[in-house]
Amino acid sequence: MTDPSTPLIAVEHVDKWFGSLHVLRDVNLDVRRGEVVVVVGPSGSGKSTLCRVINRIEPIDSGVIRVDGRPLPAEGRALARLRADVGMVFQQFNLFSHRSILDNVTLGPVKVRGIPREQARRRARELLARVGIADQADKMPAQLSGGQQQRAAIARALAMDPKVLLFDEPTSALDPEMINEVLDVMTTLAGDGMTMVVVTHEMGFARRAADRVVFMADGQLLEQAPPTDFFDHPRTDRARDFLSKVLTH
Amino acid sequence: MNGVDFLADSLPVFWAGFRITVLLALASYAGALILGAVLAVLRISPAAPARAAGLAYVEWFRNVPLLVHLFVAILCLPKLGVRIGPFTAAFLVLAMYTAAQVCEALRSGVNAVPRGQAEAGRALGLTFGQNLRHVILPQAARTVVPPLGSVFIALVKNTAVASLIGVVDLTYQFGELARDEPGQVMTLLVAVAFGYLVMTIPAGYAVARLQRRAAVAR
Amino acid sequence: MTTVDEERPAPPELAPARRVRPTPATALYDAFGPRGRRRVLVATVVSVAVLAGFAVFVLYRLDRYGHLQRARWSYVLSPEILRYLGEGMLNNLKASVIAGALALVLGLVLALGRLSGTRAIRVPAVAWIEFFRGFPLVLLILFPYLLFPVYLRAVDPLWYVVIGLTLYNSAVIAEVYRAGILSLDRGQQEAAYAVGLRHGQAMRLVILPQAIRRMVPLLLTQLIILFKDSTLGVAVTYPDALRRGETMGSFEPRVVFQAIIVTAVMFFLVGLVASRLVGVLERHWSRG
Repeated sequence: MTDPSTPLIAVEHVDKWFGSLHVLRDVNLDVRRGEVVVVVGPSGSGKSTLCRVINRIEPIDSGVIRVDGRPLPAEGRALARLRADVGMVFQQFNLFSHRSILDNVTLGPVKVRGIPREQARRRARELLARVGIADQADKMPAQLSGGQQQRAAIARALAMDPKVLLFDEPTSALDPEMINEVLDVMTTLAGDGMTMVVVTHEMGFARRAADRVVFMADGQLLEQAPPTDFFDHPRTDRARDFLSKVLTH
Repeated sequence: MNGVDFLADSLPVFWAGFRITVLLALASYAGALILGAVLAVLRISPAAPARAAGLAYVEWFRNVPLLVHLFVAILCLPKLGVRIGPFTAAFLVLAMYTAAQVCEALRSGVNAVPRGQAEAGRALGLTFGQNLRHVILPQAARTVVPPLGSVFIALVKNTAVASLIGVVDLTYQFGELARDEPGQVMTLLVAVAFGYLVMTIPAGYAVARLQRRAAVAR
Repeated sequence: MTTVDEERPAPPELAPARRVRPTPATALYDAFGPRGRRRVLVATVVSVAVLAGFAVFVLYRLDRYGHLQRARWSYVLSPEILRYLGEGMLNNLKASVIAGALALVLGLVLALGRLSGTRAIRVPAVAWIEFFRGFPLVLLILFPYLLFPVYLRAVDPLWYVVIGLTLYNSAVIAEVYRAGILSLDRGQQEAAYAVGLRHGQAMRLVILPQAIRRMVPLLLTQLIILFKDSTLGVAVTYPDALRRGETMGSFEPRVVFQAIIVTAVMFFLVGLVASRLVGVLERHWSRG
């Protein structure tokens, strides 16, 4: 194992373009073990892309990303192994629509980790109970509400025993009344010491659960600070402007 | 001779033709599925020349009428020293012609799988092969089955074109009998209609059912 | 509080075009790393080699049997022969235009019949559609060819082709119309009823104009198929381009190969251009 003082995730001088659009501009970010980092910013600021480059769902154009001290592999089995240690929760849930909830949660452990199916199922049921949908295990994803699907997706990610969980706007596709059930699960996880990177528009969650808030605009990481500092004393005009728009009501 | 007697007399001839039609349809379909899968792999390959070759094949077979392909096979191939009988020619041409349709059905099936599904598989740590086997192909299969059924129905009907290059199928036998007994054309019509509809209508209902099932499962 | 060096100058802007990587067209592939790109390169080289090998083989074979001889091609590509084949193509077009127009009208009637609330109208429409759709088109062209001389009198083969194409395509096109009508948002129909229109008025004033616009590309695609199918006129001695290509070969056997290939290429070009135009139209409309 690597030295516990090294950051679990280290993003160093990362640049990324989509065609001619410069979506990440020299981004630097460290995430320590057990830390909950919430990334906020206006839409189009590159925060979602930042989340997606950490497990190379999107490739970067320059810079280095290290997970647990090791640079991200470019491809192949090494990359797959790394991704198994980095859980991801998507905006659109992306549950495998042809498999039951239970099978969604066991697929990774069985196929990637080689855990015996029965053992994986037992663990999956525990995890589903933990996110509060034990009774939905045998249904198909389409039969669940959005909030239930997202909780199932969190259980699917947890089943891999990841070192870190990435949340890419996990509540943006949900109806308002379902947002809290997902945020509650996330808050509990944060309290349990899970290392998390959360891209979200939910400022209440950021205030409540984050160890550190990161503010991005135009592909640049402009500010990072503990939540109380960030929300009460934003340093940049962009952040002040952003907060005045999202916190008015 | 009345219609019923005539029909009873010509039944063995019809039966022989029917068997050729079924054989031709099944053999070409099997060939088309295999070739179509290969073409689909070419069409979604990351190698540009392979994609271009797949596209050229599909465009050629989609835009040139079936009968023209059959004429190419029986009139042009012998001029290149390749001698094949009408049945072999029809089998090859129908398989190749239908493969273009199979290819497009498979390709659109794979492309219909939402990007997020593949990403979720990758994010779990599935390798390319595992992702293909456990996530993408099972989902593509659901969208692909109904169109592949329609392709089969079209193929059954297309086999009749082979009669024009001398394949002794149901249509060919019908033509022969009708020429011998012009007065019985109406009777023959009913019989040959039955021969084809008995294949295409049930297949059509099966496709419609699969379509509904696929729609419900989503 | 840690503020990320806001004042630091942005890294030098790199020319955007520099970053073009082989982005996979489908969701199938991960972004390629160095090894992936190397594999793609190998696959590219191999497929070029295979294609080149195939081309060489075909050319060798053609040459060995004398089909690359200039004289043979220039004979088939001479203005008279091209005109002869071109007139055949016009015959394909003639049969297609007549049958296409008839099938479009008949198809609409059948589709409305199938959607009608009256059983006595619906059942025959369904029967017609299911019967003629399930039939091989060649047979539908052969039927009138065999029946007419017996029960009426022989007519120009053009009409056998037209009848066959019309029967078959009326059924297919009816289903295109029906799918177009059914795909229309229910809200449109409800809104039409809500402002007090009756079924017929709603159909004529609200549903059909929208549905038809939506299905024009599909209808055009079916008309292209109909055009290709007009080659089946060969079965009833209709002098279309394919039959002319074939007969040319029989009075000048040395150029059979060339005649058929030229005919095939003509059909290919017509079909390709037509389907590309439909594609352009479809994109244009889906934007507007």
